[in-house]
Amino acid sequence: MVKDPNSTEFQKAIACKKLAFVGGKEVVPTMAALLNHPHLACYARFALEPNPDPSVDDALRAALPKLKGLRQIGVITTIGVRKDAKALDALAKLIDDSDAEVAGAASASVGMIGGLQASRTLQAALGRTKPPVFPVVARATLICAEGLMASNRPRALELYAQLSATTMPGPVRQAAIRVLNAAGPAPAGAKPYPPPTGEAAEKDQSGFLGRGR
Amino acid sequence: MPEEKQAVTRRNFGKTLTGAGAVAAVAGPVAAQIASPGPGQFGPVVVGNYAMVDQLVFGGIGIRGRGMSDLRMLLGESRVRFVGIADVRESARETVKSTVDGYYKNNDCKMYRDPAEILARPDIDALLIATSDRWHGPMAMWAAQSGKDMYIEKPGAMSINESYAMADNVRRYGVVYQSGAQRRNQFAFEFAVGLARSGKLGRLLAVHADTAIGLGTVDAGGHGWWPAETPEPDPLVLNWDKWLGTCLWRPWNTAYPDRGRGEFWDFHAGLLEWASHTVAVAQWAADMEHTQPVEYEPEGGIFRGDGLISRYTINCRYANGVKLVLRNHSWGGLGSCSNRFEGTEGWVETGDSGRIEVSPNLKSLVPTKQGTRYDPTAAHIKEFIDCIRSRTPPRANAEVTAATHVTSHAAWICAQLNRKLTWDPAKRMFLNDEEANRMRGRAYREPWRMEALATSM
Repeated sequence: MVKDPNSTEFQKAIACKKLAFVGGKEVVPTMAALLNHPHLACYARFALEPNPDPSVDDALRAALPKLKGLRQIGVITTIGVRKDAKALDALAKLIDDSDAEVAGAASASVGMIGGLQASRTLQAALGRTKPPVFPVVARATLICAEGLMASNRPRALELYAQLSATTMPGPVRQAAIRVLNAAGPAPAGAKPYPPPTGEAAEKDQSGFLGRGR
Repeated sequence: MPEEKQAVTRRNFGKTLTGAGAVAAVAGPVAAQIASPGPGQFGPVVVGNYAMVDQLVFGGIGIRGRGMSDLRMLLGESRVRFVGIADVRESARETVKSTVDGYYKNNDCKMYRDPAEILARPDIDALLIATSDRWHGPMAMWAAQSGKDMYIEKPGAMSINESYAMADNVRRYGVVYQSGAQRRNQFAFEFAVGLARSGKLGRLLAVHADTAIGLGTVDAGGHGWWPAETPEPDPLVLNWDKWLGTCLWRPWNTAYPDRGRGEFWDFHAGLLEWASHTVAVAQWAADMEHTQPVEYEPEGGIFRGDGLISRYTINCRYANGVKLVLRNHSWGGLGSCSNRFEGTEGWVETGDSGRIEVSPNLKSLVPTKQGTRYDPTAAHIKEFIDCIRSRTPPRANAEVTAATHVTSHAAWICAQLNRKLTWDPAKRMFLNDEEANRMRGRAYREPWRMEALATSM
């Protein structure tokens, strides 16, 4: 029905929805051909996203450089949901795309795919991106760190430490600090916030505040 | 606040800044991308934007109908100051502003067409979110990513995957989330749950949840109704693309905003119209708030496939053997949103009537307070505000909401497929049923996206 030129847009849309649940390898080329359709691209991704056949990932990677704008963003997002690590190199380049929405979508997908390579990509991007992409990169790094906690805890904590810097977006920084607090004591040599001085210190009869805990 | 007449396209939704207070740069389609790029003048915003101040500053997103009821109760809270409303529908924005300004006797409530603007306001601590169902999950995630606490109407998510993603984000960012499952703070339900959890019913055998809605009605349009396209409205009056949100594209027709919440598969969260309440209460009673049944089996009823169901019972079983029975037909006549709990030493049943029925051996335990029908939303909101202060999870927090929703979505998938399903709560997947597993998610229309580990397959 999707390939039938006599089918209406509505009929094709309903067919895509049904194929999301039952379609296999055989439907992938037909769905991929719709990825640049102004109305049906979302239906094609609806059908492809849950399809477990590996040819879906091949088709999405092949479509990625051929699309622009909204359609490209859609494919980037589906790649992230499917955790296709083979797409990491292509997504890494898109983090520097001139379209901030494309760059943001690529950053988010890299974070969702996760792993060491993704963490290096995002860590580098933290140092060079600017708003509005930077906050997305920070959130993606947070997700990437979370994903690494089970497989590579030292690397994850390294990322969390970086995300706890005062230069990070407030919600991301707070999220990182919560994880670090739960993970263990502060690093050796960490200094407490300076104690009060002057009148406030004079009120401290015990001398506790000034002891340099 | 005056609104400039300017084109609002899908791609600039989330970055249309109209207010002097909306100063943050906006990244793109996901509104939460407006999160501050760094600490402000007074240091970083703490989790939940929390500050020990006399009043918590609230904003609203998508408030009509049920949301107006929430708003009135929120305004009655002396610890709350409501300062702005975002809505894609002009009439809704103006109604909220009129209500708020009338209450405070000023003209201060700001109006926004774009939720990103209200999420960007650093002075706002918390949000009342009462959009239509399809927006609850994304809005919750964006609010969490922006560090805002939220009271958000039910249902909380449109799919199993979105349920997990929502809870992931709330946990990650440490914000306070209260679902609008207000029966968690209603006396009759509290009492019935207390009997079950305290062992007064003996060994618990079954918990029942009235899911009420006839899916035949819900899916009258189902997948199979696509009205003729008519000219889209002025986006300043109603922004159709933003109203449609993450749902699959379809041509504009006035039937959607008028009837769209409940009558089309794309816009509806399955059993969760009432299951958001009754399954939440049932799982609370069974001490199963953080998990789901492992088996789901449709029984009787009329199952026509393709989501078209006019009468149903869905029998579910938790790993410990306790049954969860979902049905869209009542049994005790105790009012809407009924629950019934059965054990080896007694049973209890209640509903929105406020009346409590128990087995004869338990009658002496039923207090005289029973029998009153009342709306517990004020108490539910009060609990939310208490939790903002204490930074502790309220009763209808994101984790228990997600568990409720996964149960309900799994049961709905069972009903649509009309076959027995086995669910693994730890793996978050059905066993030996690929078709059911594919139904766990609904791909978002571009450019929207989730940002969560849980969305990944």
